[in-house]
Amino acid sequence: MAAQLTLPARLDLTAAKPLAREISALVGDVELDASGVTHLGGLCLQVLLAAAQSFQISGRSFAISSASEEFQAALSMFGVDPAQLPRKATA
Amino acid sequence: MSNDPMAEIRSSFFVECEELLESLQDALNIMDEGAHDCETINVAFRAVHSIKGGAGAFGFDNLVAFSHRFETMMEEIRAGRLALIPDTIKLLFITADLLQDVIRATRDGAAEPAGTQEVLIALEALLGENGPPAEEEVDFTPMGLSFDFGDTTEDTTYLTDGATGWSIAFTPESGLYTSGNEALLILRSLSQLGATKVTCVVPTDLPAPTEENAETPFLSWLVHLRGDVIEDDIRQVFDFVADVCQLEIEQIQGGIDLGTDPPSTAVEEEKPRPAPVTDTVAASRPEPAVTCAEVSVPEQADPPPPANASLTPTRPLNPSTAPSEPLATVRVDLEKIDQLVNLVGELVINQAMLTQSVEKAGVGHQPDVMSGLESFMTLTRDIQESVMMIRAQPVKPLFQRMARIVRETSASVGKEVRLRTEGDNTEVDKTVIERLADPLTHMIRNAVDHGLELPDKRREEGKPAEGVILLSASHRAGRVLIEIEDDGAGINRPKVRETAIRKGLIAPDAQLTENEIDNLLFVPGFSTASKISALSGRGVGMDVVKAAITGLGGRITLTSAPGVGTKLSISLPLTLAVLDGMVVQAAGQTLVVPLSAIIETAKLEADKIHHLAPSAEMMQIRSEFVPLFDLGQQLGFRDARIESASGIVLLISQEDGRRAALIVDAIMEQRQVVIKGLGQSYGNIPGVAAATILGDGQIALILDPADLVRDGNLSSPRDLKAAV
Repeated sequence: MAAQLTLPARLDLTAAKPLAREISALVGDVELDASGVTHLGGLCLQVLLAAAQSFQISGRSFAISSASEEFQAALSMFGVDPAQLPRKATA
Repeated sequence: MSNDPMAEIRSSFFVECEELLESLQDALNIMDEGAHDCETINVAFRAVHSIKGGAGAFGFDNLVAFSHRFETMMEEIRAGRLALIPDTIKLLFITADLLQDVIRATRDGAAEPAGTQEVLIALEALLGENGPPAEEEVDFTPMGLSFDFGDTTEDTTYLTDGATGWSIAFTPESGLYTSGNEALLILRSLSQLGATKVTCVVPTDLPAPTEENAETPFLSWLVHLRGDVIEDDIRQVFDFVADVCQLEIEQIQGGIDLGTDPPSTAVEEEKPRPAPVTDTVAASRPEPAVTCAEVSVPEQADPPPPANASLTPTRPLNPSTAPSEPLATVRVDLEKIDQLVNLVGELVINQAMLTQSVEKAGVGHQPDVMSGLESFMTLTRDIQESVMMIRAQPVKPLFQRMARIVRETSASVGKEVRLRTEGDNTEVDKTVIERLADPLTHMIRNAVDHGLELPDKRREEGKPAEGVILLSASHRAGRVLIEIEDDGAGINRPKVRETAIRKGLIAPDAQLTENEIDNLLFVPGFSTASKISALSGRGVGMDVVKAAITGLGGRITLTSAPGVGTKLSISLPLTLAVLDGMVVQAAGQTLVVPLSAIIETAKLEADKIHHLAPSAEMMQIRSEFVPLFDLGQQLGFRDARIESASGIVLLISQEDGRRAALIVDAIMEQRQVVIKGLGQSYGNIPGVAAATILGDGQIALILDPADLVRDGNLSSPRDLKAAV
């Protein structure tokens, strides 16, 4: 069972440090609930991408679930390759 | 002018803030009237958001913090979590007023304006505990695109051969995010220039996220921008982050494959976007639309073509980029415009002189000279009109200031007042607007404080508890008419009379008409307020207001009906520089009558003149009788007109629509004249507006005919000989 983490609504500058802290504190697989995200900034995007990379390296699973429209739109504006940030198929 | 580029950008930011505040006020007014549609809310939101964005870019922390709270509140409203009940709207108005104060305090380097904390507390209370903290960064809510994440359908779009595009490599450095900027905003701004393909470059050795490295940027972006965009436009997007990022911009000839974008996104990017409010801070102010904005029409979506479109041939004609610059504006020092106005004035005089010299030389009748002079005249007129248009500004910002005065004044005296405005877009010379602010403020305060009754009293009299003040502007007879009308108690004439007697302004037994009593309010030293309130009674009476209006070449009249209300009408000249005039002769003097005041001219015929009294004559013009005045006599140039003498009559109209006929000896010509002030030493001469220099170098007085005949046949000849 992957650890669940609900992402805050505003993933902006002030959210980057707390997000990095929370993610780095997790052990095992993780599933991030992005359903409530209304804003995704560059720094938090970086935290998420870095987490995805490091989880992959350490053989743990990392997935975003139920991404909000705003979250998806930001990813597309950022030009992020979906493969770089795996998404869990919505149940 | 300062040469510090930062100071210039900063000052342009504050000018933009004023514009944003204006659109914020507009939106709030619409909400106040009951319209709670998405677009209105979004307009207000965008205004606050843009102010915050700009403030973040300049590091104005207080302004960012305040506008952030405001924005949070707007966001709650936009999301439908906060209902737009009257109390909320009231708080929005108060917050908007304070935002203006905070902006001005920031601009002037002053301390935080009073009341800020109270408003912030009120906002917090309204938002509850769930409100986001007041962090100080530029944030952004992206557009709700229906992009299906994970969908890899490819739609390959190619440019036609030979078209150009740009390759932009953008790498944020440390400081970009922490200074309040956001890569997402920059990418979005780029996408507003044309279709883009963005690739996020993720280093393969991206360190695992830790609290320490969370704010160090590692990502960079490669953007392919398609379209006929000039490099300056791209650089402008990066204006505020130039020192905190690495930027490489390269032009690419030939096709760019914008390929892998999913179709839905590509379609979105082709859609015209509303322009950033101005281009200078484009990077920090994208359109923060949400779901609610998707169906709405951006307010500047279909702008008129900019007047200077021909000056920017390199601008893209691509439909996806054209709407992003609908209102190209240039800020110019007022001093430079004034200089231009003066030069045009000289040009008008010079043209008149040239015409006369040509006449004198006897070549005026030659066709080529004639047509040359005519086109010179047309050109001069066109130039003059264009210059005047530069100076003219809508009265809207002035009226919005008055809305605030009404809110503050009514709150402090416990009255419910609604300000309605009409003719906000009436354009008036900038100087006139500036000099009108103080008198108007005073009159509005008076209307709230003295004009309108307290809510209980109003209810007793069967009126709605909420008083209404109507502030309107319109063009009338070549002048600007500004009216302030309240639905209050009207002027308490017995009280005014009593006060005037007590203050020794009139004799106790003086017989005064209602109009004369009303006009006592303009007498220096008069104040009707039985209690000197903090608002109106600060020693400034209506006499000061009248002096200010007269100083602008204007007139003020007051009408009042007991129980119905009071109306103050201010009539002002449109411009203070040039006017179309009719040059006439009266008693051997050359005078100029503004063309705008003349309705028609007629021959003076003895059988049309009717005597009412020895000194009062009426003239019949068709089926109408109008009072008849002899201009020469009226100005004191001669004692009495010789009855049998022939003459010409000018039918003139006054602001209130009344007419009068003026006898002149001859009409010389019709021409443009440059208004030259008479100077302080002459004071205010009744009936005379200004002076001008004619083509032959002669000085002529410009008359204010309405003022000349305003008092009807009460007026006595005035001695103007000294003035000429």
